[in-house]
Amino acid sequence: MKIDRRSFLGLGLGAAAGVTLSPMPWKLTDDSSIWSQNWPWTPVPNDGEITFEDTICTLCPGNCGISVKKVDGRAIKIEGKKGYPVNDGGICLHGISGLQYLYDPSRVQFPMVKSGDTWKQVSWDEAVALVAGKVKELRQKGMAESLACVSATDKGSVAGLYKRLLTSVGSQNFYTLETMEKSWEMLISRIHGLKAFASFDLANSDYVISFGAGFIEGWGSPVTNFIANSSRKERKAKLVQVEYRLSNTAASADTWLPAKPGTEADLALGICSAIISGNLYNAEFIKNAKDFEAFAKFVNEKYAPELVSRTTGIDASKIKAVASEFAKAKSPLAIAGRGKGESAGSLMEFAAVHALNCLTGNINKAGGFWTVERQDTLTWSSLEMDDSATKSYAKSPIGAVDSLVSGVSGSADAGVFSSVVSAVSNQVVTSASLTKLFEVINASEKSPVELLMVYNANPCFTLHNTKAVKAAVNKIPFVVSFSSYMDDTAQLADVILPSHTFLEMSQDIQSGASLAQNITAFSKPVAGPVFDTKHPGDAVIAIAKAVEGTVASSFPWENYQECLESIIGDSFATLSEEGYIASEFTPPAAPIVVDFSIFAGFKGITPLEGEAKSYPLTLMPIDTIRLASATFASSPFAVKTVEDTVLLENDTVIEINPETADKVGVSDGDYALITTPVGEAKVRVNLFDGIMPDVVAIPEGLGHTISGIGQVLRKDGTALTGKKGATSIITVTGGTSKNIGPLENRYIGGKGVNVNDLIGSVVDPASGLDAAWGIRARISKA
Amino acid sequence: MTQDNHGKAYKFGMVIDLDKCTGCGSCMVACMSENNVPFKEDETNKKDSITWMKVFKLTNGKPFPDTDICYMPRPCMHCGGKGDHGHSPCVSVCPATATDYGYDTGIVSQIYTRCFGCRYCMGACPYHARYFNWWDPKWPDGMEEYLSPSVSPRMRGVVEKCSFCYHRYQAARDRAYHEERRDNIEEGEYQTACTQACPAGAITFGDLNNPEHEVSKLVKPDTHQCGKPRNPKAFRLLERLQTNPKVYYISEREWVRKAGDNYRDGEWEKSK
Amino acid sequence: MDSALIPKGAKRCPFPVFATGIAVVGAVLLWGVYAMGLCWLKGLNQTNMNDYYGFALWIWADLAVIAIGGGAFFTGLLKYVFGIDELKNIINLAVVIGFICYSSALLILAIDIGQPLRGWFIFWHANVHSMLTEVAFCLSLYFSVLTIEFIPLILENRQIDKVPFFHNLSHNMHSVMAVFAATGAFLSCFHQGSLGGVAGVLYGRPFAYREGLLVWPWTFFLFTWSAAAYGPCFTLTVTKLFEGITRKKLVKDNVVHILAKISGWMITTYIIAKIIDTIYWAFVTAPDMGFSLIDFYSNNSFYGIWILFAEIVLGGIVPAVILTVKKYRENNKLLLVAILLGVFGVCLNRWVMVLQVMAVPVMSFDTWALYVPSWQEIATTILPVAYGVILISLAYRYLPVFPQEQELYDAK
Ligand SMILES: Nc1nc2c(c(=O)[nH]1)N[C@H]1C(S)=C(S)[C@@H](COP(=O)(O)OP(=O)(O)OC[C@H]3O[C@@H](n4cnc5c(=O)[nH]c(N)nc54)[C@H](O)[C@@H]3O)O[C@H]1N2
Ligand SMILES: Nc1nc2c(c(=O)[nH]1)N[C@H]1C(S)=C(S)[C@@H](COP(=O)(O)OP(=O)(O)OC[C@H]3O[C@@H](n4cnc5c(=O)[nH]c(N)nc54)[C@H](O)[C@@H]3O)O[C@H]1N2
Ligand code: SF4
Ligand code: SF4
Ligand code: SF4
Ligand code: SF4
Ligand code: SF4
Ligand SMILES: [Mo]
Repeated sequence: MKIDRRSFLGLGLGAAAGVTLSPMPWKLTDDSSIWSQNWPWTPVPNDGEITFEDTICTLCPGNCGISVKKVDGRAIKIEGKKGYPVNDGGICLHGISGLQYLYDPSRVQFPMVKSGDTWKQVSWDEAVALVAGKVKELRQKGMAESLACVSATDKGSVAGLYKRLLTSVGSQNFYTLETMEKSWEMLISRIHGLKAFASFDLANSDYVISFGAGFIEGWGSPVTNFIANSSRKERKAKLVQVEYRLSNTAASADTWLPAKPGTEADLALGICSAIISGNLYNAEFIKNAKDFEAFAKFVNEKYAPELVSRTTGIDASKIKAVASEFAKAKSPLAIAGRGKGESAGSLMEFAAVHALNCLTGNINKAGGFWTVERQDTLTWSSLEMDDSATKSYAKSPIGAVDSLVSGVSGSADAGVFSSVVSAVSNQVVTSASLTKLFEVINASEKSPVELLMVYNANPCFTLHNTKAVKAAVNKIPFVVSFSSYMDDTAQLADVILPSHTFLEMSQDIQSGASLAQNITAFSKPVAGPVFDTKHPGDAVIAIAKAVEGTVASSFPWENYQECLESIIGDSFATLSEEGYIASEFTPPAAPIVVDFSIFAGFKGITPLEGEAKSYPLTLMPIDTIRLASATFASSPFAVKTVEDTVLLENDTVIEINPETADKVGVSDGDYALITTPVGEAKVRVNLFDGIMPDVVAIPEGLGHTISGIGQVLRKDGTALTGKKGATSIITVTGGTSKNIGPLENRYIGGKGVNVNDLIGSVVDPASGLDAAWGIRARISKA
Repeated sequence: MTQDNHGKAYKFGMVIDLDKCTGCGSCMVACMSENNVPFKEDETNKKDSITWMKVFKLTNGKPFPDTDICYMPRPCMHCGGKGDHGHSPCVSVCPATATDYGYDTGIVSQIYTRCFGCRYCMGACPYHARYFNWWDPKWPDGMEEYLSPSVSPRMRGVVEKCSFCYHRYQAARDRAYHEERRDNIEEGEYQTACTQACPAGAITFGDLNNPEHEVSKLVKPDTHQCGKPRNPKAFRLLERLQTNPKVYYISEREWVRKAGDNYRDGEWEKSK
Repeated sequence: MDSALIPKGAKRCPFPVFATGIAVVGAVLLWGVYAMGLCWLKGLNQTNMNDYYGFALWIWADLAVIAIGGGAFFTGLLKYVFGIDELKNIINLAVVIGFICYSSALLILAIDIGQPLRGWFIFWHANVHSMLTEVAFCLSLYFSVLTIEFIPLILENRQIDKVPFFHNLSHNMHSVMAVFAATGAFLSCFHQGSLGGVAGVLYGRPFAYREGLLVWPWTFFLFTWSAAAYGPCFTLTVTKLFEGITRKKLVKDNVVHILAKISGWMITTYIIAKIIDTIYWAFVTAPDMGFSLIDFYSNNSFYGIWILFAEIVLGGIVPAVILTVKKYRENNKLLLVAILLGVFGVCLNRWVMVLQVMAVPVMSFDTWALYVPSWQEIATTILPVAYGVILISLAYRYLPVFPQEQELYDAK
């Protein structure tokens, strides 16, 4: 057939018509849309049988009961456990995000040893042998005291095992973090002569004055406090919040007293004065108190409401009104303690606040302040120490500080107070201070610590003046991290023995902070292990065994499980069956003593670092429940909820009053340079009416470093690559890896600045703890 | 407390006590976790951040120290639309019937596989309750493990929003049928993930058609006025637009109730 | 080189000049195609749209081109239905512009939707209550009509016309064109209207919401009316543009003046309706929802009351006056000002009804949402312009778009 133009066109048109009328285009259209509904890169979760398993969340000291929902054995959701005494079904956003911690590909996936910039995978046996080898070496050299360990707390059997390892080797250098719990404990021992921790029955108190405690920012046991706070409406209970800023707690309070930061103790004493001069105190309770007359004279002379009104900025009439309401309430409660960083806080602030509780006598009663004896539910078998260990153990801890109050009562103002009180032991307590430890290391030419173990703590992020802390850690020849994550401290370690996450391990739990009940709980593994991690207890036991000798024989258990069963003893069966044992507090049999002599020489709380002339503003760290500031780094979910007035792209956003902004010449959204005596940072500005002029608030929980992670090589020599989404692929240019590693958590890492880069530590002479509660600062437009 | 729902439609709704809400964000995360909501490395552009439940922060605009703030959690309002006939702002505009009003539940659905991403519904919703998948959802390697099979992950290019945890309703209904209770779902049997998680107990969920349910008791919806609350402390967001939401708010604070809608000068004082 | 294709006797620039011009515009087109590809392959994250701003620049362009392409249906209506015969001298241009505008609009929609492969669901799972469904149906049908109206013109190409079949086809199509024009006008009324309805029905958006007649908000009628009124302004603008570029007269003044006059009266009636609508909305509709007029124009850095003024006075009253007064409209400069202002006015109206709608806060604690388009959006928005320039240049070069061209040339 001859193809001319005509037939060509005809054919073409015919073909087009044919194709159009055939089912083909329709089928293709349909198929392509079906394909778009089943894109292979959009995951399709597998279905299966639904089950629930209960355990305890240990992301924060709240220790809520949680139910893990599983599908076909796969953990898919965390919910609050109904009926659990801490949280009764409620749960905070971090707990719900637990699975993001579990399945996080930026976890430390196997034991690794650092050489240069590179991490190399080793087997658990090799890792344990390496650490044990170092310990043995130190023992042989008679330098066992140069072994140190940092752990968040000393509560529970896992921390107990670490402490036991140190003791059996011959070191007293076991450090815990400095928290408000410690301050309360010291205060209770000083004022009441008891060895107990503080608890607060918020849920039953009808009138609470809180001096900055952020009940809904995450203070104490967060969910317990949320529940107590929201039941206020029904209970007709009042909350008075003393805070320089309209925090969420202040906003939810019935009365907000914006006292100038640092004058909270003054305000507390002002209220004491009003109560005393109005004869509103509980005379019956106070009648045997030591030095009450002196205290009364002292506050009436120096802290009368009119005087206090000048320093705090709160009207005298308001102070008197609050004093009268407080004193007349059925179960009034005064609370101190901002739980941040070194905010073990100024002990004298705690004392001033607690004086209010003493005046009402609402102590060890429903709705009141409780002194709770530490329940030692664990019975450890005695451990063996050979000569070398005994000799080393005799040496006092590195960075030991003298704490408590003896120095104070001898001071010039002590005149009106009697000197020593019989019921209360006023001896000097010497203890190991973590802050001091790092100071000592930095001050020594050669680090007195040869080997540092870090368990369940991230001091390079959470301690004040992180630059100094990091310098100290870098000076320590051998650092062992037990972290599950490449956190700020693990990045500086020489070897990492990664622990299970809380969802992968069993452990005993003592609920503490601000709970009006004793709860011992037992958490059990509900998932994983996802990676080649180990139970931290098993890791210690393995190390101890490898150290051999009396150290090994002090750890007679096959594994952690066996250890736990033996040290928990009788209650193990109940615990593993019921999950927890709760008991109401019982008041101590003996009447409680009160000693006011602590106020001799009271000169206010620890001052801010920096002089007002060059640093006219006060910088205060603030917390939002949505950012985990101590307990882990925040999860992707949590970071997602953070407002853009806190974190904007990679910048921390500070909060200032519009008036302050005018003064320093910045406007909303501007970049600003913030400078303190310790450091400086570029941040962005958010104007907020609810913050006091001349104060700068900066959010906690940001500024996790990820830049120091380096390369990770598997045993077979292949590089661990960054995971899609979570982390970026290592790019090797010219043979050297860029500073982008595979274990970077890009969801929180590298975002914003760490407050603790800007704040230095200030040792409280009364407690020996780091009491810095802010710092002086200036800002300028950047 | 079993209700008789034979032939009667449910009208599920939510009441949020703004004086109890602490702004903690548990509801947001509970929802993300329950409903396979994806996340990105940077979520600070809040106008491109999928949050079926979003907690707004309101301020009273007064200077220090008279400032006050209030957190306002905002799921989808499951609007009944004008006259409460189911012509929700979004449903009435969707050209492909990819979002629909369930007359048996009052729940506004969203069919991801039918939605073709025209975003008209987003423009129609005054509450910004609808979110577009601008990006392919991606989970860090291994994190897909926690995805729930009850809610399908969405693909790029479609709109999503709060479903009142519809899969939980389905599960409760299935159980009821299985136990031969027909469709009589008890109050506690169907609760949304955000309600369950809220540690402050600020959220209440239930059937507004059932006077026994807590939600009805709290707001006392006026059926003759499309569910307008009779409790003077309760209000609905943008009541004046006649979207007829099924999410109610309660607050003792007058400025908060006022912030729930728009008023011209002097109107609020008159309306009180 | 391509002279065999050029209409007999017509003067066209040398092919290399033409080809260079096309290549330059083609480069812009390719840039747009690249951006379009990005949007399809990577998704709409390539744009700066967001959850507050779900409609953006190109949706405005979409509505604007449909509005200015309205010259096609309206001129067709005037010629074929109302029998204003002079308009046959400009109808071809109107049809080509219409074709370009509507094909562009469809292309934009295909880029705009998040799931282009499912675009047809709008037909298959149609929701009859949705204005967008109405738009989709009428738009695609009307595009078919425009194609049918365009075909005879293509068939008139010198070479194609030589084929007897096509010659006859063209002839026969011409004779039934009135039917299509009428159908097209009917369809147009609906889709122009339903485009207006898209914003007008949004009762959750007080800035857009309008009451109306039966199921149609007033914007439904205003959009149809304004497209009819302002569409001819664009047809005339393009005519003037061609005349400027080719430095030739292509359409006789009387034709231009007739169209201008009709447009002028249409704009006059439209703008009166628009003013009434605005007043009713400002004093009744919006206040019922708690808004004062000024709420929509304050507290932001862009949308001031100027925009209302610009739309109604500059883009409405001024062209209406110029085009209705014979003296002004027959003054070439004023005429040019008027038709340009007209095009500006209707485009601004579409901007306001799409983009400002998204920007205005509704909840009392919301803030204005302003957005700046990404380059991909700008490129894809320019893409149809480039495509239009190329298509209309090809049409002008190879098809007898201006029937009076020869006559006017000879007269010179
Ligand atoms: N989301 C979340 N919740 C948590 C945690 C977490 O990491 N994330 N961690 C848990 C832990 S370990 C703890 S200890 C608690 C801590 O919880 P909180 O004790 O609530 O700690 P913050 O909220 O940081 O501080 C309380 C308030 O004290 C104010 N403040 C600052 N300086 C002063 C001062 O000098 N005097 C007074 N009176 N107030 C001041 C601060 O502005 C702040 O608003 O939170 C627990 N809950
Ligand atoms: N910036 C800032 N600093 C602070 C505070 C603050 O609010 N902000 N608060 C202060 C307070 S109150 C406290 S209590 C401290 C807390 O300070 P740290 O306890 O040092 O801080 P975290 O980051 O919680 O460190 C916990 C580490 O323990 C590990 N870990 C957590 N859970 C587990 C587990 O289940 N198993 C194992 N094996 N490891 C686990 C993780 O690797 C994590 O890095 O920080 C203080 N410093
Ligand atoms: S409050 Fe603490 S313990 Fe409770 S869920 Fe949240 S992080 Fe876990
Ligand atoms: S979980 Fe409850 S308290 Fe927290 S933000 Fe949501 S509604 Fe408010
Ligand atoms: S809140 Fe928005 S998305 Fe939800 S039903 Fe109402 S209009 Fe639709
Ligand atoms: S985006 Fe999806 S749900 Fe929304 S209107 Fe378009 S097709 Fe319907
Ligand atoms: S009801 Fe369910 S889907 Fe809606 S916000 Fe709450 S958790 Fe999310
Ligand atoms: Mo803490």
